[in-house]
Amino acid sequence: MPPDNGAFMVAAYVVTAAVVLGYVVSLALRLRDERRRARN
Amino acid sequence: MPDFLRGVVLIAAKDLRIEWRTRTAFVSALAFAVLVLAVIFFSRDPTLVSANAIAPGALWVTFAFATMLGMHRAFGVERDRHALDGLLLSPVPREAIFWGKWLGNLLFVAGIELIGLPVAFLFYDLPGWSRLPLVAVVVLLATVAFVAVGTLVGAMTARTRHGELLLVLLLLPFLFPPAVAGVQITARLLEGRPLSEVAGWLKLIAAFDIVFLALASLLFPATLDE
Amino acid sequence: MMTVERANRLARVGQVITMVALAGLVGVYVRALEYTPVERMQGLAQKIFYLHVPAAWATFLAFGIAGFLSVLYLWLKDRRIDLVAEASAEVGVALSIILLTTGPIWGKPIWGTWWTWDARLTSTLFLFLLFVGYLLLRGAVTDPVQRARFSAVIGVMGLALIPFIHMTVYLFRTLHPDPIILKPSAPSLPGAMLVTLLASFGVFTLLYAGLVTQRYALGALRELRLEREAHAAG
Repeated sequence: MPPDNGAFMVAAYVVTAAVVLGYVVSLALRLRDERRRARN
Repeated sequence: MPDFLRGVVLIAAKDLRIEWRTRTAFVSALAFAVLVLAVIFFSRDPTLVSANAIAPGALWVTFAFATMLGMHRAFGVERDRHALDGLLLSPVPREAIFWGKWLGNLLFVAGIELIGLPVAFLFYDLPGWSRLPLVAVVVLLATVAFVAVGTLVGAMTARTRHGELLLVLLLLPFLFPPAVAGVQITARLLEGRPLSEVAGWLKLIAAFDIVFLALASLLFPATLDE
Repeated sequence: MMTVERANRLARVGQVITMVALAGLVGVYVRALEYTPVERMQGLAQKIFYLHVPAAWATFLAFGIAGFLSVLYLWLKDRRIDLVAEASAEVGVALSIILLTTGPIWGKPIWGTWWTWDARLTSTLFLFLLFVGYLLLRGAVTDPVQRARFSAVIGVMGLALIPFIHMTVYLFRTLHPDPIILKPSAPSLPGAMLVTLLASFGVFTLLYAGLVTQRYALGALRELRLEREAHAAG
């Protein structure tokens, strides 16, 4: 009977997704701002 | 060659003389050392942790912070743009600037250490005063490269925003290998063990010294504006 | 030479790569969570492995590239090299956050402890601190050429430091062996698990590439704008 540690798995997968998405969004926003400024 | 050596000594002497005028950094570093030694002494459960056991760690933490206090001071002088320019325009050879600053910093830190060591021996009632010279040598060996890195990083952070904080943050990771090695060697020496037992750690310090002395002196010119 | 058009194009390429990588990440998630067998001894928590190990690879890739480019910059003095190093360092920070969080989350159920000062973990922690220091230094220096030079110096020093961190902890460990910690053995992975792991490696590498490309484009656009503003003012 494997140990009941699914909560840790969920936590890790959630944190990873959060960091990845957080950084992707941060980059996208900064790029959008910079491109806007380049056009003006 | 003699020009180079003279340049080194001149720059070191200049820095130390400026420091000696006010002595603020030196005195505050010493006071800080005493405070740290005291706090660490009282931070343990004396029935569980002997003063002997905690002394090496306390020593090295103290020296680390004292070193960093000294580093920032060393370049405080050059924070005025013209002081550094003056150095660059002087006939002192470029390479001598790094070694001169390094020597000045080293003597400052060595001063703290040479006073701090016997004080620590006293406060912690450490046995083996006969081992004090050997411990002093090890401490100095470990300090040498750390001061080189500090000189290099200090040159870069002297005139930046939040320079002190940046200096500490950048420098601390470089303290890890010499400090850990230093603590291990000091602990063994205080127990009266022979040097041969700590050969591995000594080799680590030696390698660290060689690599970072070379690297710091090679990279220092990149920190100077053309 | 860098132009706004080229930077924009790079940004778009980077975005495409990142989108593909994100889709791949979803695929890895589904595959790892649903279609990969559960490890009998370690349970579900073992699946963190499929994120943690590729994140480690990507983190050290980011670090290695930033370090190598620092050396290269000091030699070639091309500011574009500096911008790629900056991009790699920032992406590296994000990746090392993943590494340093999934690690303890994995460690607690498997090893019984959140943190252990072993050589790998300690080196990773210091790597993270060096990355952060590198980026903070960049933030504090205003002149772009000086910033590039200073960053390169710290980059080279940091690169040289990591092996010493590793050696220090290793030496400590061999002289002070740990009490037996329950460590997951590294057996040969059964086929299904290996495929998931390899897929994840691919996804993380692609993600790194896409993010660095975008971040580089961002850096280039910013530099170009600051140059324009300086010329207009001067």
